[in-house]
Amino acid sequence: MEEEEFSATYIPEQQITLTIDGRPVVIGQERGTTTTIFEAAQKNGITIPTLCHQQNEKPVGVCRVCVVDIGQRVFAASCVRMIEPGMQVKTSSDDVKSVRRTLLELLMADHPSPCARQTLSNDCELELLASAAGVKTSPFARRTSPRGHDDSSVSIAVDHEACILCDRCVRGCSEIQHNFVLARRGKGYQAGIAFDDNLPMGNSSCVSCGECMVSCPTGALTNKKVIDTKLGGGSVALKELQQIDVFRGVSGTFLNLNSNAIRQRTYKAGETICKEGDYGSTAFYIVDGKA
Amino acid sequence: MFDELRAIQATFGYLPTDQLHQLSGKLKIPVSQIHAVASFYPHFYLKPPPKVDVRVCADMSCHLRGAGLVRKALDQAFAGRGQDAITIRDVSCLGRCDTAPALAINDHIYSGGTSHQVLDLVRGTIEGKPLPSPHRDHHHKQRLATDPYSGASTYRAVRQLVEGRDFKAVLGTLKASGLRGMGGAGFPTGTKWEIVRNAAGQQKYIVCNADESEPGTIKDRFIMENVPHLVIEGMIVAGLVTGATKGIIYIRHEYEEPREALHEEIQRCYRERLLGSSILGSELVFNLEIFISPGGYICGEESALLEALEGKRAEPRNKPPFPGTNGLWNQPTAINNVETFTLASAILVNGVDWYKKQGINNVPGLKFVGISGDVARPGIFEVPMGTSYRDLIYKYAEGVTNGKPLLGFAPSGPSSGYLPASQVDLPLDFNALAAAGSMVGSGAIVVCAEGRCMLDMALNATRFYRNESCGKCVPCRMGSQKLVDLLTDWTTGESAKDDMRVIEELFKAMRLTSICGLGQIIHAPLASVIRHFPLVIDEHLKGKRCPGGVCFGGRG
Repeated sequence: MEEEEFSATYIPEQQITLTIDGRPVVIGQERGTTTTIFEAAQKNGITIPTLCHQQNEKPVGVCRVCVVDIGQRVFAASCVRMIEPGMQVKTSSDDVKSVRRTLLELLMADHPSPCARQTLSNDCELELLASAAGVKTSPFARRTSPRGHDDSSVSIAVDHEACILCDRCVRGCSEIQHNFVLARRGKGYQAGIAFDDNLPMGNSSCVSCGECMVSCPTGALTNKKVIDTKLGGGSVALKELQQIDVFRGVSGTFLNLNSNAIRQRTYKAGETICKEGDYGSTAFYIVDGKA
Repeated sequence: MFDELRAIQATFGYLPTDQLHQLSGKLKIPVSQIHAVASFYPHFYLKPPPKVDVRVCADMSCHLRGAGLVRKALDQAFAGRGQDAITIRDVSCLGRCDTAPALAINDHIYSGGTSHQVLDLVRGTIEGKPLPSPHRDHHHKQRLATDPYSGASTYRAVRQLVEGRDFKAVLGTLKASGLRGMGGAGFPTGTKWEIVRNAAGQQKYIVCNADESEPGTIKDRFIMENVPHLVIEGMIVAGLVTGATKGIIYIRHEYEEPREALHEEIQRCYRERLLGSSILGSELVFNLEIFISPGGYICGEESALLEALEGKRAEPRNKPPFPGTNGLWNQPTAINNVETFTLASAILVNGVDWYKKQGINNVPGLKFVGISGDVARPGIFEVPMGTSYRDLIYKYAEGVTNGKPLLGFAPSGPSSGYLPASQVDLPLDFNALAAAGSMVGSGAIVVCAEGRCMLDMALNATRFYRNESCGKCVPCRMGSQKLVDLLTDWTTGESAKDDMRVIEELFKAMRLTSICGLGQIIHAPLASVIRHFPLVIDEHLKGKRCPGGVCFGGRG
């Protein structure tokens, strides 16, 4: 009787044992919750490449770059497939690597390489992944019908040619900001992203929050330099910024836009770093020393 | 959502921007999402349509029966007329493969006409003449072996179930019969219903997939017109067995006659209390409605179909979870094809032994097949499983057109790929076809006579997939287009690359990483031609000539 009462109130953590790349792995999860293969791999130090998966957004499994072999008829997109006890996962077998490479070749066939993001900050996620996979030229024919540019917004440049339809901007706009301005349009190879009912961005109900641009993995949505305020302290080179942990994964183009907002200062012992009412200082990252 | 969009289109002829914004306010849905949906479906016009919108079916059977000539005649006759007067474009399979070629003029579907007749019809429409009713009723009601009711259909399976309440016995019977899904995937029907019966859910659903849109597939149209009562009976039984109280028939919008037949029968069932809130006076409930698809082959993919039912873009879901546990509105849902419900009814009334005895050559069961393309008598036939493709083509469809030799055939539209004439003795049998690297699928048999170019047929089928890809995932959206580009190069002789390694890699990526069955099967037509017709490939790539005289601009 006592035991029953105990089990009714205490929900034990579930242990799921599976194999990833030949290694037995144990994942603990609360009952009623689930863990994706992508998360399980990450917890065990295995990074699965992806383009459409961004961890503050609901996974959609559309780029398929994160596919893994789980011994079934087809591969599974690790960002949306939940782990199961006894699962045998291969994240980088020859077959997995070769299909991933083909997906990158397909995307690179139409990609205006180097795109705006790559040109500005060398961190277009598609171009980096393609380069890491050794994709230099795509064996596939290039798109012949132009997809266009949209320069109507004062703050964000839209290059539809560089869009890979990862839906990161769409989710950023809807799930994170609740603005619901961005959505997919059209179907198949003609599909793209659209603002409202396919208006130029500058004429749409977009409030220029920037979430789409920060979410974008490529040069499809990049910032235009519009604000130029100077704060005290020295500037930090983009390359140095990108080495700092908190900025990892943030678009280099976006960091570059905000380079004036990130300043490097050196303080003497006992000196006040910040006091109430100071303008322009919202967060501090300590590179060296103790606060 | 779709009813609202259709109402706007009925009033204005298209979907004007201000109307979309008004609708957004009314439904409290962002205009971006309404546009996302409206722009996905070919049925909706976002710009004012031309006075005459001519769409010619370009897919397999119509392609074989002269659609290209009709298209050419139209292009020549109306060249130079403005876009607001007339547009002429291709359209995906309209489901008239047995009377090909088919075309739609302002959404009225005509088939079997000569170029001359089509030109007259279009000229008349431009002059403002009302379009005549399309020729109807090419199939008179037939007595089918599948139909256990000779007089008025009495819904014996439903009556027995309401009286005896032996729901588990239904599952047992279906399992014993070996009935599998007839939409193409072949999942065991009894098991599917059992999953839904055992799944927890507030409101379960039964969905009939009547969206057949694959080139060559016309059997469900025939079944719905001839035995609508068996489709409905199967759905009611499925509802009672699984505990689902709502049923939806998802039908393609081009199927008006089948829709009418189903509608009439549903009305009758409500009158006779076979449907409704008190089936045959009991406490059992099952309601049934018809949902008209806004269009697109992808809607036949079961999870995309569910998305469409929910008023969204018909983009397939990542699976698992499967519809049996997480279907419509995330509730347990049994989705079956028209033919599956029909055969389930017949099996439940006539028994497992009857069903098994219907087959020949040691293959149990019955099947509906559509035979089209280069045959003397295209049509839909109810045939014993185990019948050889030779008999299907030469006896049922009365042989190849003009007595020509057989070159090859697709056992199930583009998805099965093509088989060479040498395999025509294969029996209609799921296992035998799987062993041959093909499939029985939906029984859409498309026949190619000597003189056809199989590489051209592969391009035709690949183009269909490209046109119908929803675009959700990279391998299908990009791969289908790149494959069309490559095949276009091969068949025009321009910069044709003989890169089999690239093709193998592309096939592998599309097959293993696409979200749904569409992307996973795009390779089938070309892969089958590479395998079974290697000389045709060689002639094109090395000799720069087409043995059928079809490619390279027809210069042979």
